[in-house]
Amino acid sequence: MHKIWLICKREYLTRVMKKSFLVMTLLSPILIVLFYGLIFYFSFNKDIAEEHKTIWVNDSSEVFINKIENSKNLMFVYNTSTLEEAYQSLKNQDIYGILSIQKTQDKFSYNLLSYEQPGLSTLSNLESKLENVLKRKHLEANGIDTSIIQKLNAIQIKINTKKYSNETEESGDSGATTIVGFIGAFLIYFFIFLYGVQVMKGVIEEKTNRIVEVIISSVKPFQLMLGKITGIALVGFTQFSIWVLLVVSLSAPVSSLVMNLANIDPSSLAQGAANSGGAGAGILAGFTQINLPLILGMFLFYFIGGYLFYGALFAAVGSAVDNETDTQQFMLPITMPLIFSIAIAQSVINSPGSDLAFYLSIIPFSSPVIMMIRLPFGVPVSEILLSMAAMVAGFLFTTWLAARIYRIGILTFGKKPTYAELFKWLFRKN
Amino acid sequence: MIIQIDKLNKHYEKHQALKEVSLSVQTGSIFGLLGPNGAGKTSLIRILTQITEADSGTILFNGEALHPKHIYQMGYLPEERGLYKKMTVKDQVLYFAELKGLSNSQAKEKLKYWVDKFEIKSWLGKKVEELSKGMQQKIQFISTVIHEPKLIILDEPFSGFDPINAQILVDEILLLKEKGASILFSTHRMDSVELLCDHIALINHSEKILDGNVKELKQAFKKNQYEIKYSGQALTTLELMQLVETQMNDGIVTQLFQIPDGVHINQLLQSLLQEPISLISFQEKLPSMEDIFISAVQQKNLTN
Repeated sequence: MHKIWLICKREYLTRVMKKSFLVMTLLSPILIVLFYGLIFYFSFNKDIAEEHKTIWVNDSSEVFINKIENSKNLMFVYNTSTLEEAYQSLKNQDIYGILSIQKTQDKFSYNLLSYEQPGLSTLSNLESKLENVLKRKHLEANGIDTSIIQKLNAIQIKINTKKYSNETEESGDSGATTIVGFIGAFLIYFFIFLYGVQVMKGVIEEKTNRIVEVIISSVKPFQLMLGKITGIALVGFTQFSIWVLLVVSLSAPVSSLVMNLANIDPSSLAQGAANSGGAGAGILAGFTQINLPLILGMFLFYFIGGYLFYGALFAAVGSAVDNETDTQQFMLPITMPLIFSIAIAQSVINSPGSDLAFYLSIIPFSSPVIMMIRLPFGVPVSEILLSMAAMVAGFLFTTWLAARIYRIGILTFGKKPTYAELFKWLFRKN
Repeated sequence: MIIQIDKLNKHYEKHQALKEVSLSVQTGSIFGLLGPNGAGKTSLIRILTQITEADSGTILFNGEALHPKHIYQMGYLPEERGLYKKMTVKDQVLYFAELKGLSNSQAKEKLKYWVDKFEIKSWLGKKVEELSKGMQQKIQFISTVIHEPKLIILDEPFSGFDPINAQILVDEILLLKEKGASILFSTHRMDSVELLCDHIALINHSEKILDGNVKELKQAFKKNQYEIKYSGQALTTLELMQLVETQMNDGIVTQLFQIPDGVHINQLLQSLLQEPISLISFQEKLPSMEDIFISAVQQKNLTN
C-alpha cells in the first residue's frame, strides 16, 4: 500500500508541478467555451455562414411571379431582363442561379441552373419557399382569407411536461434534462479519453526509458500500474476541481452578462418558469426540478468507475507496445465503445426508457456515458444499483485483465504482439 | 552464503532459459556470472530480483527462502536501465530510495553522503535530460546502492560506460565489498572481470558449465606454459620444450613455450641460459577467462 502511495505521489506531482499543467488547466476552459461559442454562433447566425444569393426566376407558368418570399439569404428577381442577359450575369456570377419553372398539364417542373452545386440548406430553403407559394395559392383559391393563413402560420405549441412519481407531480423540462444529461455524459467521455491516454503514454514512457526494470525490482507490476492509474486520476480531479471553482466563481458575473446581452430581466425568470413564458426561462427553471445531489453523486461514481475501467485497458495497451505509433491497432477496440456511446446519445435522449438505453446503461463499456444521459429523466433505483454493480465488477475485471498483460508486456521489447499473443499472456505463469 | 541456488529451471514459451543451474555466492565476495549473450544470465538475475519466477528449484537468501521482503536488501542495476527524464536528480534518487524502503529523511541523509562523495551538489536540481550520459550513469549507480543493500546485482555494468566512469564504478564496487556487501554481476566481456572477481560461474546455453574461485580455476586450467622475452635472434627450437608461438616487436622477441609433463621448469631456464640471447623477462602464462571458457565449453561438448 505504501508503495502504491509513493508511485501515486510521483505520478501526481510530476504532472501537477509542470508549468504546462497550470497553463492548460486555465486555458482549456477558455478554449472549450470559445470553441462551443463559435459553433453556437455560427449555427444561430446562419447569415454568416451563408452568403447572400440572388436567383433569377424564369417562370413560364406565371404562378410564382412576385410570389416567392424574399429572405436575407435568398432574393428573387423575375423577368427583369431577358434570358440571354440572365445567362450573361450568371456567367459573371452577378446572380447565383436561374430557376426555370415549367407547367405541363397539372405538373410543375423546376430546374435550377447555378454556377456551383447548391448546398443542402439552400436547396431545402428554396423548395419550402416554392411549396409555400403553391399552398397559399390553393388556400386562396378555396376562398380562405390571407389573414387566416397568417394566423395559421403563427401557431406554435410548447408542452409543459410533468413527471408522475411518488404520487406527486413534478414539473420537468426535457430541455433541462437533456442538457444536464449531455453535459455529464460528455465530461465523463472527455475525462476518460484525456486521462486514459495519459496513463497509456506514461506506461510507454517507462518502457522506452528502460526505467521499468529498475522499478519492477522494487515493486510489483500491479502496484506500479495501480499507482500510476490513481495518480493520474488525482491529476484529473485536481484539474476538474479547479474548473469547478472557476465556473462557480465566474458563473455569477458571466450569467448576468449573458442576461444583459439577451435582455432577460432576472425577476421575470421565476415568473417565466411558472407560466413557461420563454423556452430559455423554462429550461433554467427545469434545472431546479432535477435531483441534483443524485446526479452529482452518480456523476462522481461513473467518473471514477469509467476511468478505472478504461484506464486499466489503456495501461495494458501501453505495456504491450514500444512506442505510440504502434498503439493504434489496440486502441480501436477500446475507443470504439466510448465513441459509440457518445454517438448513440441522441437516440437515448429521444427515448431514455427504451430497451437499448437500458442495456447500454448497464454494460460497463457504455454505462458511464449512457447512464449520465438517462439519469436526469429518472431511472428506477434497481436499475441504478444494477448498473453500479456491473461497473464495479467491470473495472475489477479490466484491472485483472490489464495487470496480466501489463506484467508481461512491460518487460517485452521488440516486435509488436498480436492479439493471440496478448491472449496467451493472460494465462502465462510469471 | 548470501545466495544459494539449487537446481533452478526456467523456460519461456519456446526455449529453455535455465537448466538445472546451481551456484552459491559467498557473503562479502564479488561473484561474476560470465557467458555469451543469450546464455541465461539475465533470466537468472530476474529470478533473483523476483521480477520473474523460476519453474522449479530453490533459492536461499542469507539462509532463508527467497521472499519479497528480501528486495529491500538487494540493489539491482539492470542492463537496460534508464531514469525519468523530466524528474530532477534529487527527486529521482529519493524516489528510488523510498521504493527500496527508506524513509524520506533516511533517504535524504544517504543522498547527502553520495552528493559529497561524487561532488554533484550542483546537479541535484537539474532534470535528468540535462545531464550527460556519464553523469546519468553515476546517478543510476547511486540509485542502485543508496539503501545500502547486502547484495548488489549488476547486469552488464560496464556496457555503455566510458573508461573513466568504468574505473569509478570498479573502485566503488571494491569499496562496497570492503564495507561488507556482496556483489553479483554478469558480463559477456570475460576479460574485464578477471581482476575484480573472487568467484565466477560460466553459463552457456542455459547451463552452468563451470564455477569456482578465479585463482583456483586459473591454476586448474593452466597448460604449463611460460612466456619469455629477450633481445637477440629468435629461437626456432629449444631442447625438450614445445614452442607455441613467437612474436617480434622492435627487436624484442616474445615466445610462448609449453613444458611437457615430467619436465621441470628449471630445465627451461637452463636451456635458455645456453642460448646467445639477453633475457628480459620470464613468467608463467595463466589462461585468460576466455581461454578457460573455450576449454570448458569444449570439455562439456566432449562429455555430451
